Parts: sequence; structure tokens; C-alpha cells
Amino acid sequence: MKYIVIFLLCAFVYTQAQPNISGMVRNYTALRLQDDPEFAMLQNTFRLDFEKKSGKGAFVTNLYAYQYGTDVVPEIRIKQLFADVYFNSLDFRLGRQQIIWGKADGVFITDVVSPKDLREFLLPDFTEIREGIDALNTSVYAGNHTFSLVLSPAFRPTTQPEDGSIWKPEMDLPVNTVRIDTTRQDVPLKLSNSEAFFRWSAMLSAVDFEIVGAWMWDDEPALHLNKLGHPTSSGFVLDSLVISPEYHRLAMGGGAFSTTLKGLVLKGEAGYYYGKMFRTSDPNYSDGIVEGNYFHYMAGVSYTLAGIDLHGQFIQKIILDHDDFFLDEQYQNMITVLIHKSVLRETLHLDLFSYIGLNDADALIRPTVAYDISDGLKATLGANIFLGDSGYFGQFDDNDMVYVKLSYSF
Amino acid sequence: MKRIQKIMTTVATACLMVGNVLAQEPINGLTIIENVYNRAQPQDQQGVLTMSLINSRNEERVREIRQFIKDDQTVKKKIMFFLSPADVRNTSFMNWSYSEDGREDDQWIYLPALKRTKRISSEGKSDYFMGSDFTYDDLGDRRPAEDVHKLVREESINGIACYVVESTPRDDEYMYSKTITWIDKEKWIGVKKEFYDEDGHHLKTLTVTESKKIGNYWMITHSEMHNLQKSHRTRMLLKDITVDQGISDSQFSERMMMRGL
Repeated sequence: MKYIVIFLLCAFVYTQAQPNISGMVRNYTALRLQDDPEFAMLQNTFRLDFEKKSGKGAFVTNLYAYQYGTDVVPEIRIKQLFADVYFNSLDFRLGRQQIIWGKADGVFITDVVSPKDLREFLLPDFTEIREGIDALNTSVYAGNHTFSLVLSPAFRPTTQPEDGSIWKPEMDLPVNTVRIDTTRQDVPLKLSNSEAFFRWSAMLSAVDFEIVGAWMWDDEPALHLNKLGHPTSSGFVLDSLVISPEYHRLAMGGGAFSTTLKGLVLKGEAGYYYGKMFRTSDPNYSDGIVEGNYFHYMAGVSYTLAGIDLHGQFIQKIILDHDDFFLDEQYQNMITVLIHKSVLRETLHLDLFSYIGLNDADALIRPTVAYDISDGLKATLGANIFLGDSGYFGQFDDNDMVYVKLSYSF
Repeated sequence: MKRIQKIMTTVATACLMVGNVLAQEPINGLTIIENVYNRAQPQDQQGVLTMSLINSRNEERVREIRQFIKDDQTVKKKIMFFLSPADVRNTSFMNWSYSEDGREDDQWIYLPALKRTKRISSEGKSDYFMGSDFTYDDLGDRRPAEDVHKLVREESINGIACYVVESTPRDDEYMYSKTITWIDKEKWIGVKKEFYDEDGHHLKTLTVTESKKIGNYWMITHSEMHNLQKSHRTRMLLKDITVDQGISDSQFSERMMMRGL
């Protein structure tokens, strides 16, 4: 039924508005490197974009259909479906929309508006990692300054990997008997549960900057624990564990900038988060969760040397009021490196992108070679190499893979 | 008193004579290039630019761009919206170029895949624009003072009487060791330009195949850059040109980069 509705919607939009239609078809095949290699991904994607614009407004949809393996029925995802209304110094955008903030590449600091789809970790294209949110986005323009207010009545969390997925992080639990209680994870659709985001951005000759604030829900649930056991003469013996995912309110204030200096592009981004739920082993917190604040920032630089684009970022997360019971380290440090070169009149693109975790000496290395066979037709050969034994990237050390993508844009 | 009058008359006559001598002095390379640089330009213009990239096997790839330009004498703002091919559609690029000596351009690019505008460095003047045979510097307005200009001869090309000016960069690190430009004596526009690489070898030739008077301004509408060393060419066609339409400053903003056409 859902597909019929979407088809009818597309047909209606086309016949009524005669919009610009574009899109992309892609095959993505990934092979997981292990003793007996298995296909980590067999995916066909069809993206369809409708766009109807005028000086007074616009209507935009981005529909994705993902077909996996031998599945017959594709998974349909509406990334964007919104209408714009333009005035002289004021725009309204209403509907599902992807909103990207901040200056950092590949990491999320003040980029908190659109939730993420992490079912395939950080590997998909970034435009596909970002989900749309249903919101009213109001922007006021004054010269080169923009003031935006985003109000979202419906909280949409980050999509986590499903049970059994190779991207599901393993939890180190003290017992084998575990039950997941999902009764607390719903956020009812009420006005009081709305999210609000504010941004003041400016694009000036000397510097670009943005100041942001958010009163939102944490996109990732806190995992509250209920320990069930029985007392013995030697103490409490744990029999089983009930894990209750629950979303909590989170406030954030921050900003970002970028500027140029003698061929260098310098950029920075920082966010202060108030009310984050952290995991703790402190016996005073029986559900294993403690509220705290943290500071997250990035400093980055880009430079082009002999036609090779070089980008580096240092990212640090600092948990304030940290103690020894926290399961997360107080200082979490990471760097990212991107090296890019295009040759053959910009038809052959060579990239090497790496996340390097400094706390656990782990990394994700992503080399790719992409060739534009003809306009719109592109072949990409790449690899995802996880290094380390633990840490955010090292936990997936068994998931090294090579992949091929063939895409056609129209 | 008569003596003073005589002296003043003598001085005035001498000044007139010197003036006449100067006026009769043949035109030099710098003056020619300055005439080209200072040729009347519209305050704003817009048009559709089609670039055809042709390789040595005569295979062709086409890029289409809609561009808006506004020049208020202190800053020249340009915004480009990529119309095709499909995989770069809705990408936009903005450049603010300043008349102030030594001040770097400001540049931004909006990538629809990232859904945000990024500031980029304008240092890469020797980079090729979108895989074409034009560098960013070739497409910009190079200031006359950046080179030493020498009028080497006068000759006709396709019946057009031209000055031929050799320009040698003052900066040893510049990507070309010299350029030679054929300039239409009547319209003050270049009709041909040869580019020589750092070793002094002939690298590229730009040929203007059509120029038109749009409003009160002569503009190049068809040109071709031929890379002789790599045997590939780029044809550039500018169409649907309008000038002095009063394009608003707000056209050159992040809002418009993200909104697109």
C-alpha cells in the first residue's frame, strides 16, 4: 500500500507541477575480508528527485529505494519532502528536510539537527547518513547574515544497527541473561516534546561563522539498567539484567568558523552539551546512568600542495565532572585525515580518508579510486580497513571490506 | 613685466612641444594591455556558459553553467550554478574578487551532497577549472601590473588588425613563463593568446572565434583553448547574455548558493 501511495504521489506531482526530475541508480557490492569472504553488502539504490522552483517558492522531494540482497520488496526512505515559501528577507521551509550545520567533515559536533542512519556505521555517503526531520525552518536574512529557527514537533532518533548486524557494537555485560525493555523509549508526539534549534550564520570576506543553540532530545538513547539478583552471605549476586533504552533531553550551545590564511583554510567548531546521560559503574547510580556535561570541539586545516588537497582535523571530547566510575574516558581524542587528488581532467579521483582514534590506537582507513566513465556514469573501487582491537573503530576489526560501486546520475 | 611674459610664453610653448612629442610617441605594450583591462564593462551581467571538453580522441564532455556577475569597481562578485552533468547539478561556486592590490579572492563552494557551503582557498589559480583547459587564472582578470608588457609587432588575423603583445610575469613562480596576445586595435579585446610553460615551451593557444556587442560592450562569446602538449581542447560558449539588469547584491549570498536556480 505504501508503495502505491508513493507512486501516486509521484504521478500527481509530475502531472500537476511538471517538475525537474533527476536521480541516481547505483549498485553497491561489498565483500567482507575474512577466511571465508562473505558479501557484507549487496545493495541496489534508486534515488528520485523532484524539484519545482520559482521565485516565490519551491517543492522538493528526495526519495530513496534500497533493495538488499535477494529481497524482492525495496525499502523506501523519504529523505526530503518539503515546500519552500520565499519573501524578500524571509524564507519558510515546511516538511521533511535534511539540515546540516557546522564546519567539521565526517564528525558531528554542532551538526545535531538531522538524525543519523548508523545501520551501516559511518560508511554510506554523508547525504545518506543524514535523515530528514519533520520541521518548520524559518530563515531571516540581513545582508550576509542569516538567522534560522527550526522547530520540530516530532522527535526522530538516530537509527541504530539492528540485532545481528555486523555494525552492532558489542556490550560488555556481566551476565548472559539480558532482556531489553523498550517501554520507556517512546517520546510521545506532544508539543512539549518538540525540539528547537537556532542558528546565526554569516558569510563575510574575512571569516564565515555560525553560532548555534539547541533544545533537543539526545539522538542516542541512554541504556538504563535494572539489575535483578539475590542477596547472599557474600553479597548481591546478579542473575539477570533488564536494559531500558530511554531518550533524554539535551541542550547544546556552540559555534563554528572558517577562514583563509595564505592558502590555508582554517576552521574550528565547538559545542557545549548540557544534560548528557553517561554510563557509570558507580553503585550510587543503580541504573548505571549519571547525568553530566561535556565539551566537544574540532580544529582543522586544509591546504593544497602540488595539486593534492590535504585536510586534517583534531577532535576532542571532554567530559566535565568526570570520575573513575564513568565507563567513557574523560578525554577522547581523534584525528581525521583526507588526501584527495583528481587527475585525467578530473575524471579519475583518488581519495584517502582516515579516522584515527588516539585513545585506543584504532583507525578506519578508507581509500577510494573513482573514475567518471562518462558524464553521470561513475565507477568506484574502495576499501574500509579497521585497525585496532578496541575503541570506536577497533571494535569492528573483523569488518574489513573491499567494495565496488557503479552509479549513474540522470 | 615684458620679460616675465616672454619667459612664460617660452615655457608654455616648450610644454606644448613636449606634449606633442609625447602624443606622437608610439603606443606601448603596457598601454595596450591597460586599454584591454580598462575596456568598458557592464555593472552586471548574466548568461549561460557551455564548456565542451574534447580529448585527443575527439570525445566530448559538456558542462553547462549559469553565471551572474556584478562589479562595483571595488569588488567583483561572481556566482555560478552548475546545470549539467547530472552528478554536479545544483553545485554552486561563488567568487569575490577585490580591486585592492594584493588582496586575495574569497571563494565558496556549495555541494548538494554535503548540503552546506564551504569556504575554499583561492590560492589554486593554476588549477584547471572543472577539468577544462582553462585555469582559474585564465578565467580571471589579470592585473596589467603583474606582468612586463612589450609590443612585439602589429599584424592582422582573419582580417582583424591587431597589436601583438608579449607579457612576462614579474613573479618567477607564475605558471606561465610568458604569454603572447593578439589584441584587436578597434575593440580592445584579445582575439588570440599563446601560453608558454615554465620551460618556455608552447603550452596552449586560446582562440576567440566570436565576439559580440551586447548593449554597449564588446564581449567574447565563443572561444577555444587548445592544449598542444596534451592534444585536448576546451570550447567555451557564452549565450543568453544580458547586461546591466540591476542584479541585487543578495544574489551573491549563501542563501542563493544553497537555493540554486
